Amino acid sequence: LIAINVTSRGREEQPLLQAVLVADSFNRRFFPISKDQPRALLPLANVSMIDYTLEFLTSTGVQETFVFCCWMSSKIKEHLQKSKWCRPTSPNVVHVITSDLYRSLGDVLRDVDAKALVRSDFLLVYGDVVSNIDVSQALQEHRQRRKMEKNISVMTMIFKESPPGHKTRCEDDDIIVAMDSKSKRILHYQRAQALKKLHFPMNIFHSGSDEFEIRFDLLDCHISICSPQVAELFTDNFDYQTKNDFVRGLLVNEEILGNQIHMHVTKDGYGACVSNLLMYDTVSSDTIRRWVYPITPEANFADQEGQSCTHSRHNVYREPGVSLGHGSQMEENVLIGRNTMIGANCTISNTVIGANCVIGDNVTLDRAYIWNRVHIANDVKVKQSVICDNVEVKHGVVLNEQCVLAYNVVVGPDITLQEGTVLSMHHPDEEDDEDEDEFLSDDDVGHSKDKTKQKVFNPAEVGSEGKGYRWKTSSLDDTEEDELAECIWGLALNPDPESDSESEVSEGSHDLGSHPASPELDDVKVFQNEVHGTLQRGLDENISCDNLVLEINSLKYAYNISLKEVMQILIRVVLEFPFHQQGAQISTAQYSSHLLPLLKKWAPVFKNYVKRPQDQLDCLASMEEVFLERETHWAALVKVLMSMYQLEILEEEGIMSWFRQSTTTDKSQQLRRNQGLLKFIQWIEEAEESSEGDE
Amino acid sequence: MTRRRFLSGSASVQAFRRLDQLTILARNQRFTETPVKMPGADKETDLSERIESFLSELKRCGSGAGSLRGSAETARETTALLRRITAQARWGNAGELMEIIRKEGRRMTAAQPSETTVGNMVRRVLKIIREEYARSRGSSEETDQQESLHKLLTSGGSSEDNFRQHFAHLKANVIEAINELLTELEGTTDNISMQALEHIHSNEVIMTIGRSRTVEAFLKDAARKRKFHVIVAECAPFCQGHEMATSLCKEDIETTVIPDAAIFAVMSRVNKVIIGTQTVLANGGLRAVNGTHTLALAAKHHSTPLIVCAPMFKLSPQFPNEEDTFHKFVSPHEVLPFTEGEILSKVNAHCPVFDYVPPELITLFISNIGGNAPSYIYRLMSELYHPEDHELYTGK
Repeated sequence: LIAINVTSRGREEQPLLQAVLVADSFNRRFFPISKDQPRALLPLANVSMIDYTLEFLTSTGVQETFVFCCWMSSKIKEHLQKSKWCRPTSPNVVHVITSDLYRSLGDVLRDVDAKALVRSDFLLVYGDVVSNIDVSQALQEHRQRRKMEKNISVMTMIFKESPPGHKTRCEDDDIIVAMDSKSKRILHYQRAQALKKLHFPMNIFHSGSDEFEIRFDLLDCHISICSPQVAELFTDNFDYQTKNDFVRGLLVNEEILGNQIHMHVTKDGYGACVSNLLMYDTVSSDTIRRWVYPITPEANFADQEGQSCTHSRHNVYREPGVSLGHGSQMEENVLIGRNTMIGANCTISNTVIGANCVIGDNVTLDRAYIWNRVHIANDVKVKQSVICDNVEVKHGVVLNEQCVLAYNVVVGPDITLQEGTVLSMHHPDEEDDEDEDEFLSDDDVGHSKDKTKQKVFNPAEVGSEGKGYRWKTSSLDDTEEDELAECIWGLALNPDPESDSESEVSEGSHDLGSHPASPELDDVKVFQNEVHGTLQRGLDENISCDNLVLEINSLKYAYNISLKEVMQILIRVVLEFPFHQQGAQISTAQYSSHLLPLLKKWAPVFKNYVKRPQDQLDCLASMEEVFLERETHWAALVKVLMSMYQLEILEEEGIMSWFRQSTTTDKSQQLRRNQGLLKFIQWIEEAEESSEGDE
Repeated sequence: MTRRRFLSGSASVQAFRRLDQLTILARNQRFTETPVKMPGADKETDLSERIESFLSELKRCGSGAGSLRGSAETARETTALLRRITAQARWGNAGELMEIIRKEGRRMTAAQPSETTVGNMVRRVLKIIREEYARSRGSSEETDQQESLHKLLTSGGSSEDNFRQHFAHLKANVIEAINELLTELEGTTDNISMQALEHIHSNEVIMTIGRSRTVEAFLKDAARKRKFHVIVAECAPFCQGHEMATSLCKEDIETTVIPDAAIFAVMSRVNKVIIGTQTVLANGGLRAVNGTHTLALAAKHHSTPLIVCAPMFKLSPQFPNEEDTFHKFVSPHEVLPFTEGEILSKVNAHCPVFDYVPPELITLFISNIGGNAPSYIYRLMSELYHPEDHELYTGK
């Protein structure tokens, strides 16, 4: 009620700038750390991440912010109530909205729409955005566009220019954007995660302008200016989960719905989203190195009592009450929290240490992120690791790169943790139990704590006096486990299967190029495997061809594969069938003897798909492709062609036109000069002539 | 008009008191909202809102070297805000008022430690309160300035205890004095540029660095009567020198922009160096924009006179290197652009904003009250500020 009052009061003069801050990541990237503390409250340079986001919003002139939280919402609420944002003098009125039902950004925005919270254009950010970008210009442009063409442009995304190789660029977030240079309209938006080939639908280049840019030097700041329509669109399209879904959905349906997305590229300022620990490392060090000025540690922008620190040369920051032992050195880029005691002869560089920590003698810290109340004994070495609250590191422990010690863990003495070790007081199996629920609630954690008690700590993992369980390490061979450990540091690409696959296939269908639709796409592969499985089962269980066709058709819809691709894959699967059954080393004679009965058996299936002359050509082309990969079995090609011809799957004209096709590669020309093939062609030609002669 | 405001102001003191009791009652009964909106309460929140917005503005200003506003504007705004505090805050005697001003002053200086004008204005206002109080009491604080050793011995303790006496007209007097200060601030730039013709002669070559609003006005004033040539060092990495040159050109002043590296080479041709500064330190040194030290050394080498245009409000009781906040480092973006890519992870880039210029390199200060040698700064300092106010933090 208050919110509405404030809004109506502010609207009298000029539209009140509102913001929606999503204080939840809706993923488990930060597990096991985020099991005890929501991500938005994790300290970054000794200040909670959400405070950076709120400071950013306030400094851009946002007057009202809605903070949406789900996971551990009570903690976030408590934090905000204590912070300066909830003081009556705060220029930015913060409302906290909590619900356990939010599962994605989509849910949040649908709720925004349902509650009619936003009245005009609003900023949409996540609770882990660290930025000092001045969005006022972008906002002005956005409003201008909205005025010029009523309600066409629904969103302006803010990008920061940073070329590939920049450390603030996180590979997970690499994107390719195609834009109209003049109007700054986004034509195509794609995550570039490890894709070697990129496809752009041709139609985007046909529209409107004559100047396009395709850019790979952009960093998505995860800040966007949205019109109220965005929330409505999320409501209309209940399957939109993420912003990615939304952007892709809008771009694909642009012609139908007529909504456009624009972008604003900024060169100045800093903007990054702490999406994983690698980004955490980078953003922390950028903050210490003053890239986010004026949001620097000594500015004490969160206005917390006793947090004021001093800044001296080489970016050494000290809060009050820090004591440094004899011979200890703070080399550069160091931030030390209040009342922390550091022993003698320590070397500290590129490190953040929280409040009330005790650090022993002869400790070496490099790129370490040590939170509050941590005890580190003598002779400890830490490299690029995160050590959470209340951890105890005993004498002689060495932490190699990318270790994570989550809350309350005890390690040591005299143990070396391998690269990428993650230790937590939560047993990793807990998570498996909870995996059944899509999302965790506070209760679940409470339950599982009891379970943990029964399990024993492994001294080989945490040292003789240690407490904690090892989560996954990246050195393990198990691929599934590999994924998570790297995930927390964000090294491996972990494509989100739902959002990406759909969109890529939809591109495939847009593709006007002459290439067969991108073979490296995952779906196609999965589909191929499925077809193989189906045929195998068909053979084993002697299923009729009609049923096989039915199954393949349903697979086609499930994976959204075009008809052309279905045929290509079918041919490939069948031709490779003998190899799968008999091993790759079989001779040509064995191969053809296995294959020919199969062809005969499945002829109706082929006939179902190969109908038009174009289909025949496609079919032949994919046969050629398969055989080009297996040079040794070229002799079998003739037999396959022959039997296909006899089974009336292929016709003379098709084969002839395929044969006469001007080919590009040497190898396919070589294939065509194959003795057997030439004979077969000759035979067909003669047969054709004779049949003509008969008439 | 001001008179009338003062009257209403003193009348509302009692209203405040009553309100005070009311709010205490309300708090005891755990009312979260005040049921009736009182004009006094509105004033209170209005005041704290203003202070907060000023603080946040201070924090954010100055992403580059110079803030968006000149320091003259900051000084005026600070003084206006202090006047508002004096008028609207709740206080009974001079001691309480000084306490309030000191407290707010501490917050303001902490918000942007590099902006010393804020602290200076707070000290000026404190001094005004002291003087007005002394005048109301009948003694003259002004003569106390020249405290002899004997007096220091006999006076015993600080005079703070005596500020507890209540005077009905104190508020009006203080506000009037602050208004005078504001008028003085308004005129500083004009007062300085008035002296231009005494220092700049025809066909001289003047060198300056970066952009100082005071120097800009000074040169423009001289250009109305005389022809001379100005060489502007661009003052990398922020290059405000470019703006300065453009602005001078518009007044038909012959202007040349040079890179900072060429300062020494060009110095032999220069007759006079005229610069602005961010702060004048207690020892007569400067905290000025980056590159000024180089310029001063080059001037010294060639025995070129170095003139500093600095209004009095830039005079700070701070000594160089007293604390870590003396320097200000901003985002290294200007030094090494963020778009530079890979190299950023391998290097540490720093971007300091200020230089310290020792007093022996400076020939003359031109302030709004005339020209002074650096060695005279300490004397001006003791006239402007009360020695007890030098350190805002030590007050009770």
